[in-house]
Amino acid sequence: MKAMDKLIAGIDKKLERFDPIWQAEHGVGGQRSRYYDKTGVAKWREWRGVKDTLYDYTQWLNNLSSMVQMVASAPVACLKGFWEYRWMGSYLGTFMFIDRLFEGFRGYELRTAHANMHAIVRSLTKRIALVLSNDKRLGGGPRSDDFIPFDEVLPPLFLTGFKGLIPFPLQTLPEFIICDVDQHIEPYYIDVAESYGLPADVCSRCAAETGVAIDDAFPIIGKAFLTTNMPCNASECTSMIQRRRVALPDFPVTLAMIHNEPGAHPYSTQMLKDAIAFIEKEYGVKYDWNELFKYARLMNEQNTIELEKWDYFKTPYSALVGIAETLYRLYSWASVNGTDPYFNKVDRRVIEIMRRAYEEKYQPFGGKTRHRAFLWGPSAVYYTDFPTWTQNCWGINIVLNMDSTMGHNMIDTEDPDRAIQDLALFSEKATMRHHAVGGWENVNAIWEWAKNFDCDMVLFNDNIACKGMLGVHALMEEQARELGFHFIFIEHDLEDSRTVSRQDMRNCVNNYMSVVLNEKPLDPTIVEFDDSMAY
Amino acid sequence: MKDLKHLIYFENLLQDAHNELVAQAVKEGDYALGYNCYYIPEVLLNLPGCFSSRLRAPRCTSTDVASYYMTNRTCPYARSLLERAIEGGYNYLNALFGAECCATMERMEEHFFLINPVKNEKFFVTQIDPPMKGDKTSLDYYKAQLKLKVVDKLHEEYGIDTSENAMRRAIADHNEISRIVTEIGNFRKADNPCITGYEFHVIQLVSQVCPHRLIKPYLEETLEELKTREPEAKFPFRARLVLVGSEIDDPEFTKLIESCGAMVVADRYCFGSFPSREQIEIREGETAFEAICRHYLHWNQCARFMDGMKIDQRHSEVKKLVDEFKADGVIYENMKFCEFWSYEKVLAHHIFANELGIPTCTIEKEYALGAVGQLRTRFQAFIESLEIKQIQGGK
Repeated sequence: MKAMDKLIAGIDKKLERFDPIWQAEHGVGGQRSRYYDKTGVAKWREWRGVKDTLYDYTQWLNNLSSMVQMVASAPVACLKGFWEYRWMGSYLGTFMFIDRLFEGFRGYELRTAHANMHAIVRSLTKRIALVLSNDKRLGGGPRSDDFIPFDEVLPPLFLTGFKGLIPFPLQTLPEFIICDVDQHIEPYYIDVAESYGLPADVCSRCAAETGVAIDDAFPIIGKAFLTTNMPCNASECTSMIQRRRVALPDFPVTLAMIHNEPGAHPYSTQMLKDAIAFIEKEYGVKYDWNELFKYARLMNEQNTIELEKWDYFKTPYSALVGIAETLYRLYSWASVNGTDPYFNKVDRRVIEIMRRAYEEKYQPFGGKTRHRAFLWGPSAVYYTDFPTWTQNCWGINIVLNMDSTMGHNMIDTEDPDRAIQDLALFSEKATMRHHAVGGWENVNAIWEWAKNFDCDMVLFNDNIACKGMLGVHALMEEQARELGFHFIFIEHDLEDSRTVSRQDMRNCVNNYMSVVLNEKPLDPTIVEFDDSMAY
Repeated sequence: MKDLKHLIYFENLLQDAHNELVAQAVKEGDYALGYNCYYIPEVLLNLPGCFSSRLRAPRCTSTDVASYYMTNRTCPYARSLLERAIEGGYNYLNALFGAECCATMERMEEHFFLINPVKNEKFFVTQIDPPMKGDKTSLDYYKAQLKLKVVDKLHEEYGIDTSENAMRRAIADHNEISRIVTEIGNFRKADNPCITGYEFHVIQLVSQVCPHRLIKPYLEETLEELKTREPEAKFPFRARLVLVGSEIDDPEFTKLIESCGAMVVADRYCFGSFPSREQIEIREGETAFEAICRHYLHWNQCARFMDGMKIDQRHSEVKKLVDEFKADGVIYENMKFCEFWSYEKVLAHHIFANELGIPTCTIEKEYALGAVGQLRTRFQAFIESLEIKQIQGGK
């Protein structure tokens, strides 16, 4: 074994000049050197040393196998889907997307990242096959009426009590996930909405959803639709357009907006009960609390592990970092929400790696992190690999993202009354909902979070159309100064890369790091580059 | 038409939030209670010993300081209120009753306690979490919010009498003011009305920004005057319109539309009389407070309501106004950066123009009326299209 390690170390040494990190250190290239200009197309895969390159490649194959299984399980439906829906084509960019996310990842952080990412790919491919084979727009299937389509930002855990029905976040496939993969897909739908008269200054995420609805690009599934007031005004508005286009009986699950007060929870609890009664009526089924408890246990386990992860995030020895943490938590919480046991398996595996890494005092990214940052505010989904870039370019490790702090209270698994109350609290603290709106305390909580996670820097996503966050602009900046945090506004337009490009976003950081902190980049090839044509 | 006796006086009252009637009421010991949304029932702020003051920022031309706090990409109405507060224009207020009716409004209200722009010793701010549906669960929540953050606060902070009797008295006073304003507004239904949309806008506004007990005699006198006022010999406008939208608190905007040739016959916007001047009815078995909550949730037609019933209601109410006031078309307005009305405008245009066949024009505007050339052109073109329709027999 030692001889093998020695051999590998020898090869690594011999081939280190192909490693972009080595190249950047020695001024002979870097991460961007292997790309065709303006694109996201690399000329060769990243060389990470023998072990990591092989591991990375096997994971690439693993993801490919999920894609193949998806097409094999529903070949006709997938073909029809490609023909019918513009957004389906964007999923072809998944492989490039994943490669980009984990640039510069080595060792333990590469392993946790791939474990998390594969869970997403596996879940998504299964969902695509399932929904397309039952999509009434494509001819329907045996389970078309078993779906409960619901708004993607409504946590679906409470719907697991309907045994035999399939809670399905309607916007996930055409919008919520795909805009992470392809920066060029949502502008089309935004244009559809704007050509219908919608002003360009509304949140682009909701404008895109509106466009998807008007363009008839949502799958047609289920017998009734659950909308929601979460997380913000624009989401509420787009729901009103979507409900007309989806044309199913609908029930808006309007949870308390100002939810940090005692009076809010009884209301939200009753709202969930009303939603359950609505589904019972529309689908002619009875709610099964034992079925809910089964899935609540899964969610509780995920949250228990998540809280343990947080302990490692607070140290320099966390093997789970940046986008690998953010994207997974976002998907596994907001979209899966305890409904898929595979995510529990992945969590168990990842926490094992994290424990080992901590015992070994393993520092990710070769210990090159200079700043520990908390990312706050809704992130630009057309630049999902932004946290990867901040680390590779400036050594800014984003240890936790706002979205990762979503509902982490435990759900009672014995008493229905207590369970539904817990679910109300859990649901109120959903994606963006718990941070960007609903009261000053929510947004102002960032400083405490940053302090607890030993961060010296706060990157504040400045979605140019997010009214909730724009309203606290100066106060946040004043607070940062007063409390002594490095603070950078990252201006972006959420889903419209034409308004604020990825390079514009990078410049927000570049300017601060070079002008204010007078630091030099770790990799000069990625300070300024054109990736406007990339997926 | 002969000028209304009090019109210039009313116009002057609208020049400043802290106008002479507000100053008089404060001097006489009444508590001035600010609010900025229909979700806060005006009637609750007019309990004995206090008066409501719906916040406006008249003559606000620059929002530099507020834009520093909230950027220039947020609702200009909200920013103008914050700017006016920072300028010291609301120092007469004893409280602000806010509502999380939209994110920007909420943020603006938060600045009232975070940077303390109102220099008044006992000034406080509360914010209710207003419901987004008209069902029973929402009504219960609305009641709980109003009780906790308006009624109880008034009693605790200022010792205001919030008993059943006091509420009944407030309802009676409110109904009286509403009756007067509604009667005045009903003159607009005539084929050749003896009042213009602009004049009514001014009257409706003074009823919202001045203490009711002080403005009421002037309104009563104006109503009497209108009963005998001679209209123009011939209807001076080329079309009749219903104006729908968000915070329109500048009568100059109505004047702009009317100067283009169309009379604004009905006002369904946040500062308008639809809704706001309906009679509050106390049903059998209800307390006065319950009646108030039910009334305000029922009549509220905010674009943030999400359930089908309320969405349909806000469109059917506009349709009703079109029919009752014999309007030829509808103008939907939204304040720049207002997400609710941006979407509502899109939806309503589709429903009115394509499904109901009612000509509809949608526009976006700033809070302060500055460069109005583009708006004027839009209105002129719309009115012209209505005229052509009339000439062609509605085709």
